Amino acid sequence: MNYSWRAEILAIFRKEWRTEMRSMSGLVTAFLFSVVTVYAISFAALNSKLPKTVIAGMLWVALLFSAASSLPRTFLSEEEHGTADLLRLVARAHAVFWGKALFNIFQCVATSVMLSILYLGFTSTPVAIPWLFAVSLVAGCLSLAGAVTLCGAIASQASNRSMLAAAIAVPLLLPLVALGVSGMRVSLGDGTMASGGTASAIGLIGYAVATLATGPYIFAAVWKT
Amino acid sequence: MLKVDRLGKKYGGRWIFRGLSFELGQGDRLVILGRNGSGKSTLLRTIAGLTERTEGTVELPPGDPRHTLGLCALEQSVYAQLTVEEHLEMTADLRGCPARIDELLGKIDLAYARDVPASHLSTGMRARLKIAMAIQANPVALLLDEPGAGLDEEGRNLVARITAEQSERGCLIVATNDPIERRLANLELQLAS
Repeated sequence: MNYSWRAEILAIFRKEWRTEMRSMSGLVTAFLFSVVTVYAISFAALNSKLPKTVIAGMLWVALLFSAASSLPRTFLSEEEHGTADLLRLVARAHAVFWGKALFNIFQCVATSVMLSILYLGFTSTPVAIPWLFAVSLVAGCLSLAGAVTLCGAIASQASNRSMLAAAIAVPLLLPLVALGVSGMRVSLGDGTMASGGTASAIGLIGYAVATLATGPYIFAAVWKT
Repeated sequence: MLKVDRLGKKYGGRWIFRGLSFELGQGDRLVILGRNGSGKSTLLRTIAGLTERTEGTVELPPGDPRHTLGLCALEQSVYAQLTVEEHLEMTADLRGCPARIDELLGKIDLAYARDVPASHLSTGMRARLKIAMAIQANPVALLLDEPGAGLDEEGRNLVARITAEQSERGCLIVATNDPIERRLANLELQLAS
């Protein structure tokens, strides 16, 4: 027998990819959410200039809900469709977590890039510090994917999954949103010092590392109970 | 090979089963009988580690359970969007064992449906796929929950063949009330309702 973490993680990622590409449920939900959000904000701000702080906040709200609406399903659906037992029999918990987290990261980055382009384009907002915008977006996606994967994984074992996922998500995501908005508004040029944005970006990276590093261990503890 | 000692499972305040002890060796084929709701499926899930036991112990064959234990359960689902081949490929990658796709598809007579998504498979075809995934790593202990459910006569013959092969490889537990499947066993355990 040939044990390989890489092969196991890739097998889970491939399964998620094939399932999503054939059903398109998560990506379509995220896409529709993005389009509706951008359209609503553009319409509300017609003929008026929104402050950079509001634009950064609205962008993060859109990112957050777009991720939160589609990502936890990767775990919750396994339990609801009765496929979780198959995975429990043949897969190691860490491989399942990492395979799903990698797919969630991919989905989150794809949604965020699309949403940012649409949002900044429609609101005609220039990016003052592109590198900080990119770091905030990527680190934000890593953090978001890590946090919602963890929420979904923990809640999937409960009987009232959806409610528990939402309840766990609030305390986990609030600090992430604060860091994300802070970095994003500096990158859009709200007049504050770039060092404040850099600190937020570092905070986001730390948050991503923390959730992705501890997530597999927390998941392994609840996976077979 | 597989030892169950004073195993008990309680849901809420009700014992589903309690004080179950048995030991299976090479060639043993145990059939678990009992009325609906007597805990046959729960017993198999508890042995496989999918359901937490309330008391007692289960000693599985030595080694990684992903290779030494196979379970085919009625309520176990497959991925609707994945094809038959993709299922076998995935479980092999996760277990770290050879996929043996051609061999397994030949054995369960599903080669013609190799590229068919699970959502397009009939109940019987899905049952065959689940059997193939259960025996993929040549497990020492094989647990089958109502293996004949949804299968035609040919499918039942397939179960008989799998049972005979498993006898040579290790031990087998079948949860059923089917009189035909009952004949596959050389040991019986009746669960009280």
